[in-house]
This record gives sequence, C-alpha cells and structure tokens, in this order.
Amino acid sequence: MAAASFHIELDQQGRPHIRLHGQWSLRSLENDFAALKTSLAPYFSDPFTSWDLQQVEQLDTAAAAVLWAGWGAKIDNRINLTDEQRKVFDMLGRLDTSIRVRKQPDLMGPLASLGKTTFEFIAHLRDFMQLLGLLFMEIFYVLRRPREFPLREFSANIYKSGVTALPISALLGFMIGIALGYLMSKQLRAFGADIFIVNILGLGIIRELGPMLMAVLVAGRSGSAMTAQIGVMRVTEEIDALTTMGISRILRVVLPKVLGLTFVAPLLVLWTSAWSLLGGAMSANIELGISFRFFFEYLPTVVQPVNLTLSLIKGLLFGFVVTLIACHFGLRVKPNTESLSMSTTSSVVTAITAVILIDAQFAILTRGIGI
Amino acid sequence: MSTPASDRDNIVCEARQVWTVFDDNVVHQNLNLQVHSGQIVALVGGSGSGKTTLLRHIVGLTVPTRGEIFLFGENLHEVDRLKQQRLMNRLGMLFQQGALFSALSVYDNIAFPLRELKQFDEETICRLVMHKLSLVELEPKHGLLLPAQLSGGMIKRVGLARALALEPELLVLDEPTAGLDPDRSKKFVELIKQLKHTLGLTVLFVTHDLDTLAQMADRVAVLADKQIVADCALSELGAVDHPFVNNFFHDISTRMERAQ
Repeated sequence: MAAASFHIELDQQGRPHIRLHGQWSLRSLENDFAALKTSLAPYFSDPFTSWDLQQVEQLDTAAAAVLWAGWGAKIDNRINLTDEQRKVFDMLGRLDTSIRVRKQPDLMGPLASLGKTTFEFIAHLRDFMQLLGLLFMEIFYVLRRPREFPLREFSANIYKSGVTALPISALLGFMIGIALGYLMSKQLRAFGADIFIVNILGLGIIRELGPMLMAVLVAGRSGSAMTAQIGVMRVTEEIDALTTMGISRILRVVLPKVLGLTFVAPLLVLWTSAWSLLGGAMSANIELGISFRFFFEYLPTVVQPVNLTLSLIKGLLFGFVVTLIACHFGLRVKPNTESLSMSTTSSVVTAITAVILIDAQFAILTRGIGI
Repeated sequence: MSTPASDRDNIVCEARQVWTVFDDNVVHQNLNLQVHSGQIVALVGGSGSGKTTLLRHIVGLTVPTRGEIFLFGENLHEVDRLKQQRLMNRLGMLFQQGALFSALSVYDNIAFPLRELKQFDEETICRLVMHKLSLVELEPKHGLLLPAQLSGGMIKRVGLARALALEPELLVLDEPTAGLDPDRSKKFVELIKQLKHTLGLTVLFVTHDLDTLAQMADRVAVLADKQIVADCALSELGAVDHPFVNNFFHDISTRMERAQ
C-alpha cells in the first residue's frame, strides 16, 4: 500500500496541475492528513490550480472530506475525478452539517442561569423535604410492624460506616490532638497559665472538634460511598427492581443507612474525641510536664459533663444530616458517568457545609449551657 | 503451514496456538483461527465456551496465556505504542451494550476517535460525523441526544457509527443483535451487510442468535471443546463430525429452509 502523495506539474502558462497518488485513506497508516492539508493549502486557495484524482488507488470519506473542505465545499471542472469518486463527493455535499451551528451568546445568559440555579435549589429543597417526610413515614410504619425492620442492612451499615472507620478516625483525632496541644502549650507557657491547657483542650475537643471531625470524616468516607452506591443502583435499575418486588426503596435502601449511621455517629464522636484528648495530653506531658494522671483527673472538674451530652447530640444530628444528604443526592443521579461524579461531589460538599451551618446554629442556641 | 502465499497476504487476523487459562480453568487449548479479508465470520459456541474471551484477545483487550494473536500480520503486544494505536485504529469494535461514553452526546461520541487522531479540523469532523450518522440511517438531529436518551436499537447504531468512524478494515461485533426485537435485529443485520459491501469490511462477530447467524455469516467458526472444531461455510457444517456441530447444524438448517 502506497501512502497518500501528490505531484505538482506546471503547464505552459505556469499554472499548477496537481496529480494525487496512492491510498488517500485512513487505512494507510503513514498518512497524516493534517500535514497533507498544510502542504496543499497554497494550491487550495489558488483558483488556477487544476486537480487530477484519476490515479488515486483508494479514496475514503475522511480524505474526501479534507479535500472537499480545501476546495471550498464545491466541485468544478478544474477537478478531474472518476465516477466513483464523484459519487463520494456528491454524497458529502448532500450532508446536512447545520447541526454544528451554535446559538449566539445571549445577553440575558447570566440572569437566566441565576434563575435556573434558584429553581434547581428550590427543587433540591423540595426533594429533600419529601425524602425526610417519606423517611419519617417509613419509621412510623416500621414502629407498627417491627418485623419489617431491615436488620441485616442496618447492622451491615453499622459495620461499614462505623467499625471500619475506627482506625482512621483514631489516627486523625490523635494527630490533631497532638498538633493543637503543642501549639497551645507554647502560648500558655508564655503567660504561665500551663494548667489551663486542660480546660481549653477539654472544652474545645469535646464540644466542637470531636463532632466536627467525625462529621467531616463520615461525609468524606461514608457519605460519598452511599451516594455512589445508590447512584449506581439507580443506573443499573436495581432500585426499580426493588420497587417491582413491592419493597419500598426508602425502607430498604435509605432507612438502614440513615439509622445505621445515626446510631453509630455518637459512638464515633466519643472515640475520636478520646483519641484527640489523648494526643493533647501527650503534648501537654512533653511540653509542659503535666502528667496523664493529673490531666484526666482534672478534666471532669473543669469541663462540665453536660458538654459530653451536647457532643453526643451533635453527633446524632450530624450523622443523620450527612446520611440523608448522601441518600438525597444518590437518588438524583442520572444514568451517566458525569452525573454520578457531580452528585458524589455535591453530596460531600453539601454535607460538610450543612454540618458547619448547623454547628454554628447549635453554638448560638447552647451558648448558656455548660460553659 | 499449508496456506498458499497469496492467501496469507489477506489474512486480517489470526490466532495461533492460543491457550487461555483462568486459575485452573482451561478456556482455550491450542486454538487456531484465521479470518480472511472480505469475509463475514461468525464465532459460535455454547455459553461459557470462551467466544467473548477470544474476541477480547483479538482486539487486544487481553493477552492469551500462551500463543500469539496477529492483527494485520502484527502481534499487537510486541509493537511500540504508536504503531499499536495505529493498528487498533484499523479495527472497529461494537460492544454488546454499545459502550457509548455516557457523558458525551451522540455527535461527540462519533467525533471522539476522529478528534483523537488530531488530523482533521472541526468542519471536516462535522462532515464525517454526519456521514457516519447517515451510514447507520440516523438523522443529524439525533446527534444532539445523550446515550441515556436512546433506545436499544439506536444505541447499537450509534455504537456502529463510532466503530466505523476511522474507516476500519475489520469490524468486530459482540452479540450485535442481542436485546433487539426480531424486526429491528433483521434490519440491523441488513445494515451491517450493506455496510460490509459498500465499505469493503471484514466482519468478525459473536452471536447466540441463529437467525442473525443464518442471515449474516459467510463462514462459521465453531468453538467447542476449547478449540475451533469447524471453520467453513454454513452449508458445509453438515460434513463436520462433532456432536455440538451436528446439533447446531440441525437447528440452523431448519431455519435456513424456513428462510428460503
């Protein structure tokens, strides 16, 4: 197979005559139509050039389209073709390519997109409220018929989002505890207020950091997994299969996830806070020479136990919100890869934002308690 | 080899002494197959006989445990990356579920391999995409749809248009008519036959559907007992003495009589 090539002759008046040879097709592996087009470009624009394609061994539509575009989308009598080739060009000429014409940029575009975003936000809010309502209806249903409770899924979720999260949350809590403890020790020693490290670390970690850390970790770890799982179940029509078996998807898919994580979240808060405190105590021990024994005996006297209750309530609330948001986004996944990745991202971002907003509200509402 | 030299030149793909072993399970044992240019070859065999596995070897998705696969006379896994890519451009594959890129529109799906070649401008690509759409009897307006909005038959057509985008010599089809109703499946088979004729393709396909087989195949390669037990024209299958082939030929000949 010979690669595509061309040969230029000048006639008596000095007008170029171009003869094409070889395989003008993608099948010949050496062909590079971009290079051919560049080298032919000066002749394409020259109205006195004549062309001869009679010697071409094979002409496919790709090569024909390149030549066609070069000739300015028309065939005239300067171009010498075989009947077969003429058919190819005629066919190309008849194709409707208007579909590529894009709409003109719209002046009202930004306004329209703002409107769209608002409507989308309202739609999200409506769907979320609907999901919440359906969930509570299912909870009441299960309360009346306890045998319908999806116990296996519930315990599987406790294991997946709780037990397997223990090592990573311990590591994260411990490291952050060490870093915080170290920085505070430096500052407090300057004022000779060493002993207050127990107050600050205790209150900060138990009341704020523990629940927050847990929520961020769970949103990133389990929330994204839940959105992706429900999303793929929607794409592969598994959710529809459940519905046709007369099984409520909220009861079987959403409820065990929400209850499972809500159940396990306070325990994770306790676990994460404990490791953070341990890390902080270690820093205090090394930097300020406060013994572990003293740290943990002094802690309950300066941090009121009600803070622990607040922390557990926060844990419950955050776990519930993160899972519900994850399920909400999972149920909105459309059957394509783009939608799946967007929903998973939105799920994590929305969950973390929501948790921070709720935390701020919570801080204001409970400002008189336990401090 | 007993094949004459002139015949060797037009072998499009060849499996030579291929063994495939998954853990302890031997799927192919010393398997040999040749596909000659211009033929429509059907690969048939019972469920789990390794048809799709062989197809995946041929298009270079997997490597056989032992033996070699030649595509256009070259071993895909022994040439450098650029050459490998250009060799793969000479074959088009239609997957069973279409395998369309779900985030891209029909237009962009078909334009994708053309853009990857980096040889054409957008105007030329547009003309070529419209040409491929018209080849598979779709309209320009279908180009704006997303894969999720297509029916099963249209997904197959778009998949075929994408497989044909680079004007391949070899078209590989995995269950081309699975999931289509008899009427659509018949039309799709006619479309492939017509394309084979106009574009000068070689077609290799796997099917379970005897109607598709009877309508489409010039040649049948039967995969049974881990080997190709028959490789001949449909009408010659009767002469092969193998229990699977005998059974299979009985089914297919009644269908062919009915068709005539």
